[in-house]
Amino acid sequence: MTPNRNADRPRIDAHEKVLGRALYAADQPFPGLLHAMTVPATIAKGRVLSIDTAAALQVPGVVRVFTHDDFSQIRTTPAARGAYGQPGKGYQPMTAPQVRHRGEPVALVVAETLEAAVEGAEAVTVRYAEDPFSARMDDDLASPEPDAVSPLASGDAEAAFASAVHTIDVEYRHPQQHHNPIELISTTAAFEDGTLRIYEGTQSAAAFAGGLAGMMGMEPQALRGVSPYTGGGFGQKNGVQEQSVLVASAALLLRRPVKLVVPRGQLFHTASYRPHSRHRVRLAADGDGRLLAGIYETVQQNSRYDGFASDHGATPPRMYGYGAWRGRERIVRVDTQTPGHQRAPYEHPASHATECALDELAGALGMDPVALRLANDTQRDPITGKPFSSRHLADCLRRGAALFGWDRRTNQPGALVAENGDRIGLGVACGSYKAAMTPSVTTLRLSAGGQCRIATSGHEMGQGIRSVIAAELIDVLGVDPDKLDIRIGDTGHAPQHLTAGSWGAGSAAPAARAAALKLREELSQLTEAALSDEPVPVQLARTRRPYLEVSVDTVPLGKDRQAIEQLRRGMPVTTGPEYPDFLAFSWIAHFAEVHVEPSTGRVRVRRVVSVADCGRVMNRRTAESQVRGGVVWGIGAALREVAECDPRFGGVLNNDLAEYVVPVNADIGAIDVDFIDEPDSRLNPSGVKGLGEVAMVGAAAAIVNAVHNATGKRIRHLPIRIEDLL
Amino acid sequence: MKPLSYVQVRTAREAIEAFVAAGESARYIAGGTNLYDLMKLGIEKPAHLIDIADLDGANRIDTDGDRLFFGGAALMADVAEHPVVRDDYPVLAESLSKAASQQLRNMATVGGNLLQRTRCPYFRNGANGAYPCNKREPGSGCAAIGGMDRSQAVLGASAACNAVSPGDWPVALMAMDAAIELQGLDGPRVIPIAELYRPPSRTPHLEFTIGREEIVTGISVPKTAAGRTSTYLKVRDRESYAFALVSAAVALEMDGDRVRQAHVALGGVATVPWRARPAEALLRGETLDRERALEAARAAFAEARAGRHNAFKIELGARTLADAIINAGSKSR
Ligand SMILES: Cc1cc2nc3c(=O)[nH]c(=O)nc-3n(C[C@H](O)[C@H](O)[C@H](O)COP(=O)(O)OP(=O)(O)OC[C@H]3O[C@@H](n4cnc5c(N)ncnc54)[C@H](O)[C@@H]3O)c2cc1C
Ligand code: SF4
Repeated sequence: MTPNRNADRPRIDAHEKVLGRALYAADQPFPGLLHAMTVPATIAKGRVLSIDTAAALQVPGVVRVFTHDDFSQIRTTPAARGAYGQPGKGYQPMTAPQVRHRGEPVALVVAETLEAAVEGAEAVTVRYAEDPFSARMDDDLASPEPDAVSPLASGDAEAAFASAVHTIDVEYRHPQQHHNPIELISTTAAFEDGTLRIYEGTQSAAAFAGGLAGMMGMEPQALRGVSPYTGGGFGQKNGVQEQSVLVASAALLLRRPVKLVVPRGQLFHTASYRPHSRHRVRLAADGDGRLLAGIYETVQQNSRYDGFASDHGATPPRMYGYGAWRGRERIVRVDTQTPGHQRAPYEHPASHATECALDELAGALGMDPVALRLANDTQRDPITGKPFSSRHLADCLRRGAALFGWDRRTNQPGALVAENGDRIGLGVACGSYKAAMTPSVTTLRLSAGGQCRIATSGHEMGQGIRSVIAAELIDVLGVDPDKLDIRIGDTGHAPQHLTAGSWGAGSAAPAARAAALKLREELSQLTEAALSDEPVPVQLARTRRPYLEVSVDTVPLGKDRQAIEQLRRGMPVTTGPEYPDFLAFSWIAHFAEVHVEPSTGRVRVRRVVSVADCGRVMNRRTAESQVRGGVVWGIGAALREVAECDPRFGGVLNNDLAEYVVPVNADIGAIDVDFIDEPDSRLNPSGVKGLGEVAMVGAAAAIVNAVHNATGKRIRHLPIRIEDLL
Repeated sequence: MKPLSYVQVRTAREAIEAFVAAGESARYIAGGTNLYDLMKLGIEKPAHLIDIADLDGANRIDTDGDRLFFGGAALMADVAEHPVVRDDYPVLAESLSKAASQQLRNMATVGGNLLQRTRCPYFRNGANGAYPCNKREPGSGCAAIGGMDRSQAVLGASAACNAVSPGDWPVALMAMDAAIELQGLDGPRVIPIAELYRPPSRTPHLEFTIGREEIVTGISVPKTAAGRTSTYLKVRDRESYAFALVSAAVALEMDGDRVRQAHVALGGVATVPWRARPAEALLRGETLDRERALEAARAAFAEARAGRHNAFKIELGARTLADAIINAGSKSR
């Protein structure tokens, strides 16, 4: 069967969500549920000298106040928070009387009501001995690690750069940002059927069996992780949280279910974030704009103790046919909580730096920035020499330019003026993101009545993975969308992978498709005839069987059966971008039109046109939403978002949604989205590459380049704020 | 649970009696959009709430006499959308419609708006003595001075505090010479809005001049033709739902092409809603062009003092004010 393309369907769970019927993790009702609240540290580094809990225990309804004395048995394992799989890394607060970052929990108050827990938490008094610290990468006490030379290299980039006529040597800076999904991070630990169940709106239900169980000295089977829905994750909910093991341990010690919803202000100090980074970019070209060399060196903030690596250099060398390439990454350790993956974690900052530098190069060459990119298009990865599984970036650029009306633009800044006197700027930038996959275990049951139940690996965080799974089942089996029961995000139904890195659709779609095809095959064996075009449930009904059930394990390209075992043990297994015979990426081109008010420098993004090559488009509606969301993130990154940290105190000052400025509707103009929609059949049978991450890559750079085109000002840091353009 | 009593009252008299009976820990509550927020931040810790949102007649809007009258509990949304206010006093309507969000404006009152407290981040995040803050803990110092002061004031700051007065509406009222009607233990009184706010000086924790038990029963604004030739220009970090980086309220009494009298106030840049008299003086008798407007606007910032990250507010403020002057002037034609 050739996959159906481009279906435009409502989200499978839209109705449920709009009616408020979808129960998120913190909505689960449990009899006897206790409420917890944390006491955050008010110093950035040091030791806890004493904790006075007497007043808190006096608060009516407070059941218990936990401190580090209660939790010293918690183990720090490579699956602990911030370890990123590395032994000896990571940090779990409240296992010892130390404070390693401002805002970390130093006590946990558990009470019969939320109000009592909050009041109890406020009544705890803590004495500290403070140590000197630095919370910012540029501070004196920050500790740089030795540079790591990137293995991704080709040719003699230094020599090519030194002898080139046209060169650019610039540094771009990216600030600390916070994901801020609307659903707050929470943990509910409850007992059901003798096992401990952890409800979290997470992208990784398996992290509990795989990580939390180990931290608590339990067998993985003793823990079941459930992530019913995730109200936005963006990478912030991709593992065990600082509070997860504390809440689980509290429940175990009290033998009662316990829930903690972490207040937003605290999340700025306990959950992960996108770290601050600096990017030096050197580019060299000949007179025709052919890229002779790229040298890319980055510095990224990290906490003192975690294993979060820096990987900004992975995508830029694959964007264009560079003659030679060299890269280097450095980490600087500071006293903050562990940073982590935030939507397009490296690709977005890297594209900001490299795609803006490319714009600067086009300016230096007197060349059109689209023409410069087209002149350097390549079908082969310059690093490995392997071909790309599919790359329609040039088509993205051409189609985008046409839709956008790029031919209005000149290299002369400020040449276009709106009727009201605003300076109009037009900018372009491209992006890519690896096309990754992960194994899945799927059980599919079709009933003669048309009911169709699928249990598989993956999490719904609003990106529409249920709709992707539904699309394949509808396509292959002709089932009724209203009769679908899609069970994901629950280790009780199927082993769960970490759903991130845009590998959700590329893994869930082939899994659902394989299961559906297997079911067709079994039915045709049963009926001893080929199936007709009629809906499969109708054909099944004729056999008088009540139902048919199949199970399939899907192993992504380049992996073997062992991957399924790893999945079952809750260990992340992913592929890409390099496969045996090719490299696989999704690609995108963004075009931005900004209007800049001359007197105040106010920037308004009037229009963005984005054209993506993500392989087959599974659902036009959810795919367009993904891209629009990514572009909104790009607008936020370009013009608004920054965590304000006072180096004297550490922590984030603007720690609520009023002061951490994300765009509002009034900031968003038209966002026109189009797709190449060519299935990548070399990658998987569904022809799908990822979309959620690539959508954002390059969007901020397009806006920054447009601001330059409007004003002639090259602002080399994000966000560009009003004071930068005065 | 912390015990919290809550009563709804019908008359100002009852409210004041309830307040006095409850003592130190009483607070009036109207829309609650600021008070509840401050309670969550541990800044306000009332034990008794006296709800004055439904006082008889307190949400009255009256535009018939020679003054506009807005009851203390009139909703921001209702005043902003009132046809007379919208058409004849754009500076007032715009200062409200550009504040907060529609949801907040549907709850918040124009009386409560006058008494909202600063957005200084150290003040808001200073629970458990996290940051020195003279407003939270008199005498503890000021973390904002020499700190992350991008949002802080460049006008009217003292060595003890440079927190910005956050409201938009008070700035427009300041330009329009509004009067505040109060009722206290000794009966009603009326003060000019300028007298409502205290400069921070050495006691930044004392922000308002009125008695704690006094109620804002209404706000009145003299009717003037300058209302039509007025505007409120607000520049912020996003297009909506954000406090001002700088804002300018301008109303012009015109005599043909010439300015007879200008009324100018600034927001987002000062510790109190800031009347810009030097700018008014320079505009008097002038015909308007961009240069004159900018010159007058710069005069408004002659006394401004920048900290580490907020110097831009001086230039941005001047340009914004100049734009507002031109914009208001263009309405006279
Ligand atoms: C996210 C957010 C964004 C905002 N953005 C803006 C903005 O851009 N511009 C802006 O101007 N404002 C903004 N605001 C503030 C908002 O306008 C105020 O919170 C609101 O006007 C307060 O009115 P209220 O009726 O809710 O007051 P309440 O919260 O009920 O009361 C505030 C204070 O005034 C006292 N009080 C109330 N009414 C009276 C009265 N009649 N007499 C005596 N005392 C009284 C109360 O005791 C309390 O101390 C924002 C608020 C939020 C939460
Ligand atoms: S500026 Fe005022 S409110 Fe802010 S920290 Fe200083 S004293 Fe406190």
